[in-house]
Amino acid sequence: MKRLSKIHRMFKLHRIFIKQDLKRLMEYKIDFLTGALGMLVSQAVELVFLSVIFAQIPSLEGWTFTQILFIYGFALLPKAIDHLFTDNLWMIGYTIIRKGEFDKYLTRPVSSLFAVTVEKFQIDAFGELFVGFVLLGISIPGVSLEISALNILLFIVALFFSTFIYTGVKLITASVAFWTKRSGQIIYMFYMINEFSKYPTTIYNKAVRFIVTYIVPFAFTAFFPASYFIVGGNPWYNIGGTVVMAVLLMSIGIFLWNRGVKAYESAGS
Amino acid sequence: MIYVENLRKEFKKTIKEPGLKGSVKSFFKPKNEIITAVDDISFHVPRGEILGFIGPNGAGKSTVIKMLTGILTPTSGRCEINGQIPYKNRKNYVKEIGVVFGQRTQLWWDLALRETYTVLKEIYEVGDDDFKKRMAFLNEVLELEDFITSPVRTLSLGQRMRADIAASLLHSPKVLFLDEPTIGLDVVVKDNIRNAIHAINENEKTTVILTTHDLQDVENLCDRIVMIDKGKKLFDGGISVLKEKYGQSREMKFVPVDPKAASKLSYNAEFGLSEDELSLENDGHEVKVRFNSGLISAERLLNYTLSTLHVKDINLSDADIEEIIKGIYRSEVKLDA
Repeated sequence: MKRLSKIHRMFKLHRIFIKQDLKRLMEYKIDFLTGALGMLVSQAVELVFLSVIFAQIPSLEGWTFTQILFIYGFALLPKAIDHLFTDNLWMIGYTIIRKGEFDKYLTRPVSSLFAVTVEKFQIDAFGELFVGFVLLGISIPGVSLEISALNILLFIVALFFSTFIYTGVKLITASVAFWTKRSGQIIYMFYMINEFSKYPTTIYNKAVRFIVTYIVPFAFTAFFPASYFIVGGNPWYNIGGTVVMAVLLMSIGIFLWNRGVKAYESAGS
Repeated sequence: MIYVENLRKEFKKTIKEPGLKGSVKSFFKPKNEIITAVDDISFHVPRGEILGFIGPNGAGKSTVIKMLTGILTPTSGRCEINGQIPYKNRKNYVKEIGVVFGQRTQLWWDLALRETYTVLKEIYEVGDDDFKKRMAFLNEVLELEDFITSPVRTLSLGQRMRADIAASLLHSPKVLFLDEPTIGLDVVVKDNIRNAIHAINENEKTTVILTTHDLQDVENLCDRIVMIDKGKKLFDGGISVLKEKYGQSREMKFVPVDPKAASKLSYNAEFGLSEDELSLENDGHEVKVRFNSGLISAERLLNYTLSTLHVKDINLSDADIEEIIKGIYRSEVKLDA
């Protein structure tokens, strides 16, 4: 019961913070409108770009155009959700620790990680979310996807845990800043590996495949779960693997974060 | 209420030679040095007291405050506030304290001020009725009404500080930590803020710990001061004790009816004090006597003076705390601590 009310409270706070951030965005109308327009334009460009490329490649290593489109679309969803809710972790790596702004979060009666992430609601992510759903919508009729209750459930599970793979990678690399004061480039380097996840990993050489599967396991955010839905496979590996990787990365991330908070040195004032 | 025992904080610092060359060298072969920012500090604060934390820049005041508020983890030693250890049970602990860092703000920069309070209300789980009462009280003490609808970025420094103090008090904390609450403010605003701190302390028995460079804050607000320098505690006690112990510059001024009669006075012989302990200055019109009130009471001095000669006007002034502290910082005053 107590645990439940705690979760309820977190959701409530989250809602309040999201409203707060939307109000903040709308405080500066021109900036807000330009940003929204820019987001639409950049996503439209991405869609056009994709259709041009895929028009040239009918199939890739045995994968058809629509199958690749499905994987690509699936890959955007967890990325977008993570982007929407935990974007402030980037600022941990770039400024919050270095300038001692982390003090503020430690004086609040909520977990410091929650306090940091909840503060920013990155609406740019809606663009990626939109493109992701469009790609799935376009590709689903062209792939052999069985729409059953079980598959819908597995889809939601896969999406949920894939998101935490993104968050986990960011959390681990951002936590490094507690010791090094700045880790923005480290977050960037590891985060960018997600670019490999948009395509079937079978098109890469062994080394890259190994890295995106076991080291920075972004393959579990897209290729493994998505391919399960369209070509089948072992759900314990393809979707179970996503769950395991997410739990593993988040555990390491939270552990490092908590250790980092103890090592935090603030800045002179 | 607040117990601090042998608190210590060390930081690792990389030493670099100057210039880009030094930076490159340090990048490949870093040389580290341990800096002790807070060195074995102990003190105790009873409930409802206002404690002033003073010391020169870089003395370690902020580091102590940051350890007491759970922001930094001490290297060794312990602190306990309300029976809780700040860095161990942080989330629970911070519900009972309020913190203001004068140089930073916890307000939502882009939004109207009152938006900050509605969010803090939720974070600290303040009930609707309590919130209304609390805002009315804070409004009265800190006069927020004029700018509560303005975006925080448009507030003046004085308004912002008042708003920040209100934000830290919204959840009726038992202890209030203020790190330089009057920094950069004009005289009138400083006075406002001091009155507000007083009012809160008196109304709610809130324990207040503040750091400051403004000695008016100390004189007007604090029941007690702890002075630190280079991470070590130099003095701990009431202001009157500080003055008594180190106030060498207490001064008595008077104008004798007959200027020549002043030569009849010989304080040093009468009380057996050296020139250091009591000095006399006579410009032919007014006589100034500087004395150490720890060694000779003002009453004896007055009695002796008035029984020796007639005076037109007499004035006894307090030791100037600024002078004392300047002396201690420069270690001119010997501390027998």
